[in-house]
Amino acid sequence: MATTTARTLLVEGQPIALDPEGYLVSLDDWSESVAEALAADDGRELTPAHWEVIAVLRDFYQRFEAAPAMRPLVKAVKQSLGEEKGSSIYLMQLFPESPAKVGARLAGLPKPTNCL
Amino acid sequence: MTTFSDMETVSDVETVPQDLLIVLRHPPHGSQWLREGLDVALVAAAFGQRVGLLFQGDGVYALLKDQQAGALGQKGTHPQMAMLEMYDIDMLWVSETALAERELSADDLMLPMVPLNAEAVAELFARHPRTLIF
Amino acid sequence: MLLHLLNRSPQSLSVYRELGEAFGADDHLLLIEDACYAALPSASAALEPFGGRVSVLAEDLASRGLAERVSPAIAVVDMNGFLSLTESHQRCVSWF
Repeated sequence: MATTTARTLLVEGQPIALDPEGYLVSLDDWSESVAEALAADDGRELTPAHWEVIAVLRDFYQRFEAAPAMRPLVKAVKQSLGEEKGSSIYLMQLFPESPAKVGARLAGLPKPTNCL
Repeated sequence: MTTFSDMETVSDVETVPQDLLIVLRHPPHGSQWLREGLDVALVAAAFGQRVGLLFQGDGVYALLKDQQAGALGQKGTHPQMAMLEMYDIDMLWVSETALAERELSADDLMLPMVPLNAEAVAELFARHPRTLIF
Repeated sequence: MLLHLLNRSPQSLSVYRELGEAFGADDHLLLIEDACYAALPSASAALEPFGGRVSVLAEDLASRGLAERVSPAIAVVDMNGFLSLTESHQRCVSWF
C-alpha cells in the first residue's frame, strides 16, 4: 500500500515522514522520541499513564499485525493494566477525541482499519 | 487425539443466533475472500454487533495451525483469526462434514470450534436473518 | 512434454477434470497456491489422473501450515525446483 508523505517532522535531526493523517509513513521510524515529538506536535504531553497504553498498543500490533478498534483496545488494556484502566472513559481522558486513532498514531501503528 | 464425537453434543446455547452470521468458504492466501469476510466480521464487532462465524468447505483451512506469511512476506489471515477473541467474536462454528472430508480433527485447529452436522448448519442459516457469505 | 501449473483447491472439481483431460503421457503437474490442498493425503483422489507425476511448491505449503501434512507420494520442490521444472519441459500451461 503506497502511502504519500504529507509532511516531515524533525526528530533528533532526522526527518520523519508523516502521511496526510499524521501517521508514520514507515512504521520502522518509531522511537520514544518520535512518539514524544508526535505528541508535542499535537500539543499533548505524554505521562507514564500514556506510555503504558502505548506499550499495550505496540504489543497488540506485534501479536495481531493490526491496530485495534476501540472495543478490542479497551479489552487489551483491561487484560494488561487491570479492570480500572480498561474502560473507554479512562482512555478518552488520556487520548481525547479518539483513543484508538490517536493512540495508534502515537504508538507508531497504522491507522486502525476497523473503526470510523 | 480428541475427535469431535468425544465432545459434548451441540446445545441450544452453542447455536444461539447472533446479529450477523458470516460464512467463510475459501482457504487462506489464494484469494481475498477469507480476509474480506474476516474484515467484515471485525468491523461489525467493532460496532457492537454480535457476530457468529461458520467455516464451511475449504474455509476450514483458515483454522489450521502453523500458518505463516507468504514467501514474499504477504500477510496471512492467522493473525486476524487470533484477534477474533479481542473483538468478542466467540461463536465459532465449523461444518463437521468439511472437517471429515479433509480428515481434520480438533487437534489440527488453532481455535476451539463448535462442530455442526448438516442439520445443525441448516438450522443455523434458518435462525440468522442476516447472513453474509464469503 | 508440458508442465501444468494449477492453483485451485480440489474443491474446484471442474478445473481438475479439464486438466486431467489435457494431461499428456510425459507431462508433469506442479501444484501451487491453493492447489497445495490437493497434496494432502485426504485429497489423493483428486490427483489420481496424474499418475504420480505431481510436485508441490514448498513455499506455498509453508504459508498454509501444510509443510508437515503433505502426502509422502508427492515431491516437494522449492522455487529453484520450480525453475528447473520449467527448464526441463517445453512449455508451461496455467490452470486456474
